[in-house]
Amino acid sequence: MTDNKLKVLVVEDEQLLLEAIVKKLELSGIVALPFSSGKQAVRYLHEHPLDLPNVIWLDYYLKDMDGLEFMGAIKGDEQLNKVPVVVVSNSASSERVSRMLALGAKQYLLKAEYRLDEIIDIIKGQLASGTL
Amino acid sequence: MTALVVWISVIVVLVGFYILTYRKSGKESVQASCDISKEDQLKYQALLSSIGEGIVVTDRYGLIELINHKAEEMVGWKNEEVVGRRWCDVALLVDEKGDQIPREKRATQKVLSTGQAVFNDTYFYVRRDGTKFPVGTTAAPIVENGKTIGVIAVFRDITHEKEVDRAKSEFVSLASHQLRTPLSAVKWFSELLIDGDAGQLTTNQSEFVGNIHKSNERLIEMVNSLLNITRIESGRIIVDPKPTNLADLVNQVLEDLQEKIREKKLTMVVSVHGQLPQVALDARMINHVYLILLSNSIKYSPEGSQITVIISKNDKEVVSQVSDAGCGIPQSDQSRIFEKFFRATNAVRTVTEGTGLGLYLAKVIVESSGGKIWFTSKENGGTTFWFTLPLTGMAPKAGEVTLNS
Repeated sequence: MTDNKLKVLVVEDEQLLLEAIVKKLELSGIVALPFSSGKQAVRYLHEHPLDLPNVIWLDYYLKDMDGLEFMGAIKGDEQLNKVPVVVVSNSASSERVSRMLALGAKQYLLKAEYRLDEIIDIIKGQLASGTL
Repeated sequence: MTALVVWISVIVVLVGFYILTYRKSGKESVQASCDISKEDQLKYQALLSSIGEGIVVTDRYGLIELINHKAEEMVGWKNEEVVGRRWCDVALLVDEKGDQIPREKRATQKVLSTGQAVFNDTYFYVRRDGTKFPVGTTAAPIVENGKTIGVIAVFRDITHEKEVDRAKSEFVSLASHQLRTPLSAVKWFSELLIDGDAGQLTTNQSEFVGNIHKSNERLIEMVNSLLNITRIESGRIIVDPKPTNLADLVNQVLEDLQEKIREKKLTMVVSVHGQLPQVALDARMINHVYLILLSNSIKYSPEGSQITVIISKNDKEVVSQVSDAGCGIPQSDQSRIFEKFFRATNAVRTVTEGTGLGLYLAKVIVESSGGKIWFTSKENGGTTFWFTLPLTGMAPKAGEVTLNS
């Protein structure tokens, strides 16, 4: 890590939501790495093995891939595999939730059910119990 | 589907009348044949063949006496080929997976054994060529001198109705998911403003943004309720019963509502039957029922009043009771209180928030769990709701969706 600040990679293809998330993360003293494309986020992660984020904030439905594909794309990398993923989605069928959790996602949250600061607290919780 | 039942019932009555006169004139006695003119006979025959529903008439043993033209068309057999055979053997009935429905579960057989009319719209008829179609059947007894002497079954292909139902569910679910994105955006940005993340707000500004946020929360709640209703109505919901301690479940709901209870300084009294066994329930669904009833009680109770929850049991069921000293439901609104989107006139006046979907949802959940729900209430005199759940528990059901997802 280049500095001591915590870093969260956010994948969210709705521009407005991404903006709100990034703003709130920054105000909470967290560095946000925003991506509106799943593929670009995966590429970034593979290209920066020494500068990985502390947590990945993942929207399930992205225009270029879904959560399952995203998890599949980062699974092969041992270091990357250790980064906790929190899924923040619009819908959560129990089958999808259990598949994502089985693939290693730490939590699956429904967007409209949470305040932004609540999600950020959950993210911080992951950081505290995480790999640091 | 209700209109279908009514229409089919009308046909059953008409055809029943025809059959009785036909039998009298054609079979029983020369004397009786004078009761009905040739002209009337022709009229009834024309009626029977022109009806757009399939009709099958059997005798008291379930053997076919006649099928009409539409029935011939629908199942692919000619009347003369099937008269005297069993309807159950001619038109096989199968479920969605293609497994055959046993004779005793079929409408015609049920009518013969119980003497009661039966409606069924869950199965499929297999045509002569092996293809199948979803069928809605109403079967009614032909009764003479108090004895069932045969059955009339009226049936129709309900492919279109099923399709419309499915499309309706899909539309609501799709629309609701699409709605959630802008709702989340409004929610999060208004929270940023309220939290002062874009600078300190004036009193007016924070009041107005607060209103936007509150209204948006109502919309979110409404979308969630609509989604839940669609899930249950579509039959796609997973019912996953596990042994459940109802006292724990209620306490969990009260815990979640703690803030609102404190705000209104309400006293909660919870009493649970000492020997209440664990019941196999889908906790997520039943939790929702308590949440709806208790949220309503809290919402409509005056400050400082008491809400009582009693969970008792009898031989067959667990009975839950939620009583409050709230504004009550006016007599004139009581018959409509479980209707979708209906809110009592005094409720709309006193508490603006509310979707009118809660009690409808509670009723759908309780009834689909094998229980009943009812209430007594007096305007300005409080309300008590009761609902029952069978001690034997809920029947498990495979599906694709759960509540609140």
